[in-house]
Amino acid sequence: MKHLKPANAKAEAMVKAVEEGRQDEVRLMQTMVGCTATLDPGWEVDAFGGVAALCQPMEADLYGCSDPCWWPAQVADTLNTYPDWNKDAPSAQRDWRKLQSVFPEDS
Amino acid sequence: MNTSFKTAVALTALLGITGIGAGEADAKDYLLTGVKPDKLVLVDPAARKVERVYDIPEAGPGPVTIAPSPDGKVAYVLANRWESISGIDLESGEEVFRADLSGGDERVKAIFGMDVSPDGSRLAVFESPVHLGLGEYEVKPTRISFYDTSAGKGAKRLRSIPAPRQITILMYSKDGTKLYGMGRALYVIDPANGNVITEHKTQAWERENFYPPDVLDVWSQWEQADIFSTPYYTARSDMDLADPAAYWTGVLTLDLESGEFKIKEVENTDIFYFSSVVSPTNPNLVYGVYNNLAKLDVGQGKSLGRADLDHSYYDINISSDGKEVYIGGTMSDIAVYDADTLEKLGQIDMPGGNNMGISTLRVIQR
Repeated sequence: MKHLKPANAKAEAMVKAVEEGRQDEVRLMQTMVGCTATLDPGWEVDAFGGVAALCQPMEADLYGCSDPCWWPAQVADTLNTYPDWNKDAPSAQRDWRKLQSVFPEDS
Repeated sequence: MNTSFKTAVALTALLGITGIGAGEADAKDYLLTGVKPDKLVLVDPAARKVERVYDIPEAGPGPVTIAPSPDGKVAYVLANRWESISGIDLESGEEVFRADLSGGDERVKAIFGMDVSPDGSRLAVFESPVHLGLGEYEVKPTRISFYDTSAGKGAKRLRSIPAPRQITILMYSKDGTKLYGMGRALYVIDPANGNVITEHKTQAWERENFYPPDVLDVWSQWEQADIFSTPYYTARSDMDLADPAAYWTGVLTLDLESGEFKIKEVENTDIFYFSSVVSPTNPNLVYGVYNNLAKLDVGQGKSLGRADLDHSYYDINISSDGKEVYIGGTMSDIAVYDADTLEKLGQIDMPGGNNMGISTLRVIQR
């Protein structure tokens, strides 16, 4: 290990854990870690193949579905990684323009 | 009618006789719901107004499940990204109970299911823990944990029992001897050890000529009739699936007093309901809500009418006399409908126009 230098935050954490003798066995993640309670198709289409049975308007469903992480990718993960994504937009129908894209941050 | 209501009526009458009471002749219905990011809202539905707004400490992005104590004095709210339970005293407005579920290298999310025992002493919560390793997350077995409601802030779990995965609704039987969990089946669970006493099959049902049903329910709203209900969707396996008549909507009911479990198809599926409530004055009457409000007869298996709504609503509850239906969740208003004619009677706007989102809509008497 003395000839290797950690190149990222995870490697650094691993080196520290080794030094402290508390590292777990390194395992390959077997599932994608994301924010979703289920895998629904999303807002695009309803069970009849149309749109009439989707939530109306779409804003009515935004927080009911995004806050419980119903979908993995369309919106930010407020349960885990971006808890404040809609903090300043408590009314989806009024405040939707305040909702922004999110980007990974260095940890 | 539930026990807490009877107790409240009796207490109010007693206080009235002795001259100690605040002058109210009778206990009446109030609604409890949550709005983003951190508010618990008490609504007087008869007056069509918000009675009081409470702050829930560290609740963002919003309140989820609300479980009132049987005496209607404290509301336990699942919040803080599903990782905390905050008990708000409805009189003082103070947080009198707090359990933060995660700790150390274990992250715990409580996924909707939560109920207070009939004697008010225990809070039962469905928990989904994850071990946070250095290089991986490890999903741990789901469990039901119990908390002492008198533990105040910093409450720790008293004990946990194993529980099937994917439970989203958790309910005590009226006598407190059983827990019911709605997941991929309706499980009857022994609170002492987690043994599944009975499993009322839904997804794995063996009904001739019916495909397995879809059930989705995350809203706790059974207190008025003491009967849990939820819509389900199925299709006839002996019919051509290109035929719309093959698709059926049904309602599942569970009597929390007798334990009786029933399923009944009510109409061909042409619309959906996200949740439903049973009338306290007629157990065969069930109201379903989503983009429509519908009155369904689960005795005869038929629809008794439906109304178009101004927008989608997730959850629904009903007055103690069975005459008014309240629908909420999603956006920022609770709408009031006539339970008989399904005509809109009024609307109660939430403070600040904030969204209720996925929060539940409960009825208490005080």
